[in-house]
Amino acid sequence: MDKTHLLVLVGGLLFSIGLAGVVVRRNALVMLMCMELMLNGVNLTLVSFAQRTGTTEGAVLVFLVFVVAGAEIAIAIPILLLLARARKTLDVQAYAELKG
Amino acid sequence: MIESALLYFFSAAAVGSSLAMLVVRHPMRVALALVAAMLSLAGIYALLGMHAIAVFQVLIYVGAVMVFMVYVIMLIDARDRAFSRFGKFLAPGGIGLVALAFVFGYALSGNEAPAAAAPARDFGVQPFSEAFLNEYWLYFELVSVLLVAAVVAAIAVVKIGSMRRG
Amino acid sequence: MKLQLIALLPLAGFLVNGLVGRRLGRAFVSLVGCGLPILSFALAVASFRELSAGGAPLVEIAYTWAAFGGQPFEIAFQFDRLSAVMTLIVTGIGSLIHVYSTGYMKDDPGYARYFAYLNLFLFFMLLLVLGKSLLVLFTGWEGVGLASYLLIGFWFEDADKARAGKKAFITNRVGDAGFLLGMFLLYEAVGTLDMQAINAAFASASPPAVSASLVGLLLFIGACGKSAQIPLHVWLPDAMAGPTPVSALIHAATMVTAGVYMTARLSPIYMLAPEASQAIAAVGAATAFFAATIAIAQTDIKKVLAYSTISQLGFMFVAIGVGAYGVAIFHLYTHAFFKACLFLGAGSVIHAMSGEQDVRKMGGLARRIPVTFATFAIATAAIAGIPPLAGFFSKDEILWFALSSAHGGSAVLFAVASLTALLTAFYMFRLLWLTFFGAPRMSKETAHHVHESPASMTGVLVLLAVGSAVGGFVSIPHYLEPMFALPPVKEGLDSLEKPVVYLSVAIALIGLAGAWHVFGDLRRAESMRTRFAAIYSVLAAKYYVDELYDTLLARPLTWISKHVFLDFGDRALLDGTLDGMARLARRTAGVLARVQTGQLQLYLLLALAGIVGALWWMSHV
Repeated sequence: MDKTHLLVLVGGLLFSIGLAGVVVRRNALVMLMCMELMLNGVNLTLVSFAQRTGTTEGAVLVFLVFVVAGAEIAIAIPILLLLARARKTLDVQAYAELKG
Repeated sequence: MIESALLYFFSAAAVGSSLAMLVVRHPMRVALALVAAMLSLAGIYALLGMHAIAVFQVLIYVGAVMVFMVYVIMLIDARDRAFSRFGKFLAPGGIGLVALAFVFGYALSGNEAPAAAAPARDFGVQPFSEAFLNEYWLYFELVSVLLVAAVVAAIAVVKIGSMRRG
Repeated sequence: MKLQLIALLPLAGFLVNGLVGRRLGRAFVSLVGCGLPILSFALAVASFRELSAGGAPLVEIAYTWAAFGGQPFEIAFQFDRLSAVMTLIVTGIGSLIHVYSTGYMKDDPGYARYFAYLNLFLFFMLLLVLGKSLLVLFTGWEGVGLASYLLIGFWFEDADKARAGKKAFITNRVGDAGFLLGMFLLYEAVGTLDMQAINAAFASASPPAVSASLVGLLLFIGACGKSAQIPLHVWLPDAMAGPTPVSALIHAATMVTAGVYMTARLSPIYMLAPEASQAIAAVGAATAFFAATIAIAQTDIKKVLAYSTISQLGFMFVAIGVGAYGVAIFHLYTHAFFKACLFLGAGSVIHAMSGEQDVRKMGGLARRIPVTFATFAIATAAIAGIPPLAGFFSKDEILWFALSSAHGGSAVLFAVASLTALLTAFYMFRLLWLTFFGAPRMSKETAHHVHESPASMTGVLVLLAVGSAVGGFVSIPHYLEPMFALPPVKEGLDSLEKPVVYLSVAIALIGLAGAWHVFGDLRRAESMRTRFAAIYSVLAAKYYVDELYDTLLARPLTWISKHVFLDFGDRALLDGTLDGMARLARRTAGVLARVQTGQLQLYLLLALAGIVGALWWMSHV
């Protein structure tokens, strides 16, 4: 198979693994890291298509995703820290207060 | 020839380290697995000829995001042996993973467009910056606003945190 | 216009007194309430003269109510000989009773309401007797039922009295069901409800293709309800809960006679229906006897008169049953006079006794309220059938035709009727004796207050007593002969006419003597009562008919109402369905709310499932 096909598959696979990791793991920080993995999967897909079509938009978009990922992590971690401090544990199953 | 071998190698590395992320217990080791995955991705980007992107991957993701992550893990000693690795949804999650993987494969197995001759484009830093700051300057500005907002938010969170603590 | 005015004047009285009467004072209410019926009476007399001069019945068509199918439904009035007799009775005796009421109801706070209802009654009764089609008659029929309900339950704060009104209305409605069915059959067979047309159709050579007996019986069921025959008689004794003038007017002279009027008016149907006529005669005779036996044992003065009314109505139906329609109307006419006089006299006695109605507590009133006594005595003699008072003539004719009519007269009928006549004389003189003779048995307090009634009451009593005395000389059957031919006499019985007359006189005198003997000396009455204690208690309890109805009808209906309709139908079924739907909604919501666990990972799992599904679907489309 050609490059693009393979890379898109890999990207999809990374995304799936990341999503599964968020669902499966119990530690909050590990969940965050799996979310980063998801972003990376998407990034890979973007890059492979950008390389294939040869336009500059692809690269620019990838760069924007980088920036957003950085900003996101900068906020997510402090929030998570506050939450962990409030609940005194990193176990996400202790955070289930919004139940109906 | 060597190019495709490397490609396969880096892809396998990326997938392998991601799978490791799923099963490893210690958060620090999970972080290291993630770093490995990211580095593999950077390698892939470089192989594709997008050097600037590869550099940015290492600089931003590994250099900033993961460093922050590691720092936090070490700070709060996230080992926390009180609970197990996996939550309630291990089985459904596993099934979901397999299902999603298969569906991806199936969805993408359809029409394979003929490999059109990709115009050899230079994705170096200079052309990239030129394009970024000329055509896509709007997004550049927006992104800087986003970063400012992020900084403000981070300070706010810290302030709230200190207020909470008294 | 005259006929309509006769009916509409009392209606105007109802509206005026009903709406503004209370504010305008008693004098105004009395003026309007009595004056308008008297005016109606004058108009009735004028119409009567016009009828006598011309000979043809007066007909006035007010307007067409509906026109579809064959014939239109018209609101029309007619004034022929039968209507003339009825209208004069209704307006004449009605006006007298209105005047009496001004004295009797003097101190009642509901004075204006009383006269309004009484005028309303007159309006509906006049609709009934003047109506040309069954539609107008039925409207009047229902209307007098309504007025009766309002007047029986006049003192509605007393729950028992209100219940009596309800009982009257409901029992009437049961009869009305039969009446309606009869009307439906008639309309289907003849194509119109106009009574003239119906009578013509049934009297013609080719009568309509409907069973005259069936129609006759159905209509008679309606008459049973209104005229208190077995088994629908139970409301009349309870109706004595109303003011006494009401009992006199409605439940003696006019409303209860509506059944007799209706069957007489539709006589061509009954002439073609021998089975129905026999049934009527049998029911009439049975009712007459049944009611007379109960009257012997009653102790409330008004209840005795109530059962007496039921009994006399039975006599009228015996006459109808054997084809002597004119004679039935004759008895209706004389009965109106003496029964009204008796009831109003009873009202005078009650007034004198400060409200006491139990005859066991009366006695010795003859000298103290002489006018009441005299008029009461005359009316009692009239009802017992002592010549030459009015009752003798009409009752004798009924007995004669009960024996000899070729359309159903028989010895059995005659025997029952004669026995009943004997009982009538007996219990009426018993009443006279217990009330007016002997030593006074009342408390000192009551005795002190005994006084004669005011002129408005005694004047009316005198007039009615005169009517009871000489009214019999007006030969109504002869007057009505052009409409109702007297039935032919069975062969060979012609010679028995005089003996029957002597027999009826003898019956009346034996009854008088018997009552004198037993009740002249109260100890003899007491000893008779203890000797026949078992029979006496059955009679005093009215043969337990009310209790029977209660067990057979009222209690099962209430049980069904409560357990089937309320508990099961309404609560379990309807409420249960609604509650069940609400509960279902709540439970479903509860089940669906389980998705909201607050666990982020569950939400993401669901999102993952969604993504898988979406991708699958997209790749398959």
